Amino acid sequence: MELLLQTLLNGMLSAGVYALVASGLALAVGVVGIVNFAHGEFLMIGAFISYLLFASRGIDPLVSLGVAAVAVFLIGAITYYGLIRPVLSAPELNQMLLTFGLSVLLQNLALLLFGADTRVVSPPYQGSTLSLGGLSFGGVPLAAFVLSVLILLGLYWFLGRTRLGLAVRAVAQNRLAPGLLGIETQRVYLLAFGLSAALAGVAGVMLSVMLYASPTVGFAFTLKAFAIVVMAGLGNLRGVLWAALILALAEALVSTYVPGGGGWVEAVFFLVIFGTLTWRSWRRA
Amino acid sequence: MLRLRGVSKTFGGLRAVQGVSLEVQPGEILAVIGPNGAGKSTLLNLISGLLSADSGRIEFLGQDLTHAAPEVRAWRGLGRAFQIVQPFPEMSVRENLMVGALYGTPGTSVQAARKVVERVLELSGLAGKAQHPAGELSLLEDKRLELARALATQPKLLLLDEVMAGLRPAEAQDAVRLVRSIRDSGVSVLFIEHLMPVVRALADRVVVLDYGQVIAEGRYAEVAENPKVREAYLGRGA
Repeated sequence: MELLLQTLLNGMLSAGVYALVASGLALAVGVVGIVNFAHGEFLMIGAFISYLLFASRGIDPLVSLGVAAVAVFLIGAITYYGLIRPVLSAPELNQMLLTFGLSVLLQNLALLLFGADTRVVSPPYQGSTLSLGGLSFGGVPLAAFVLSVLILLGLYWFLGRTRLGLAVRAVAQNRLAPGLLGIETQRVYLLAFGLSAALAGVAGVMLSVMLYASPTVGFAFTLKAFAIVVMAGLGNLRGVLWAALILALAEALVSTYVPGGGGWVEAVFFLVIFGTLTWRSWRRA
Repeated sequence: MLRLRGVSKTFGGLRAVQGVSLEVQPGEILAVIGPNGAGKSTLLNLISGLLSADSGRIEFLGQDLTHAAPEVRAWRGLGRAFQIVQPFPEMSVRENLMVGALYGTPGTSVQAARKVVERVLELSGLAGKAQHPAGELSLLEDKRLELARALATQPKLLLLDEVMAGLRPAEAQDAVRLVRSIRDSGVSVLFIEHLMPVVRALADRVVVLDYGQVIAEGRYAEVAENPKVREAYLGRGA
């Protein structure tokens, strides 16, 4: 029983970061209409920013969160302006090839600059644990979960309660009308893509402590984020929370209860994608 | 207030709009009619900025807007409603209108926008549906929302693209009354319409397009008697 509770708890804690990464992807897909295969590379950049600041200046990852948010937002905005905007009206296949190419490019650039080693940011509190009623929490995963929830609440507040958020939702829901109503759609795209990248960047900082920074760290998260976004329904932000929770719990259960489960964890995401898509097409038929 | 001079647009080899010149006076209701494929919708897209003219000039309130972005034209006072309604389906009716009210006129405060929204809700008869998701309205309500949202941008000239299509005669009459009251509140109207009774009831002046060109212009009665117009509608050799 305790093992089950502990497993569910671990799953829930990782759901926070998954939701953060996937919400970013949902913004790119839902608002800008771009299937961004380089999403995980924004995460990787965030992780390296955290590592570099920590290794060179001893800067705490909590501080790096803010630095990475701003820096990766700008990188996302520049990416939008330079690469995405010119292909907005191109066929989807071309857009996907472009973002896929960007992903490969950024991974190799990181490989060139930093080598293939995994690098961990280890602040003094990295190994801290709290126990409560027989369950133990890693201090860092707990903090990452809480921060993720706070950032997502901030995102929902922005989208639901602010003037600019209204414009973002408008652009997500209709392509034709916003411009005619006076919304500068190009600016909204720029903002949404920047935010999308920033959410991944912030998640990258958290993962630099929980996991590691490496040139390929983002790839698995791109796939996981896609699984979550597909399960939630393309562009459905609220669904992302549930999908992230379900997937993270499934992952935790598999890794605990399936013999040799660690190796099967990655498969869980794809089983869920297949399951969701198949179920949807049956229901529709 | 709106002045087109020799406006043309070509798609591939098709000359959709050729050298169209027309004017809308302040306080006027102008109808643009013509057979299917005459270029009416293209013309409206050129005026509202969804398309950019290949040649010619579009002036609004003395400013050249020929190649301005749609949002710039909206800010200057051009409002547009579509035949195929374009709501924000996951927002409430009130939020849909709020988008128009907040962004249609630069510098509108949230408070001022709320007032505009309440006024437009009353005018369009949607007050009872304010909290309703826009994706779950009836056809008639859809059309009202489309018109109301364009009004919420506080336009000086309203462009209406066959907004009466699909309405029952009684509903169309209501819509005619609504458009008149909009004009009486000081907004000029340029509309495309297939239903001739609506054109007769509403239009101060009619412009007839055929094959992308203006073939006649004048009061409804004059235009209806014009042999070129009859030919265009009834077919050559009829």
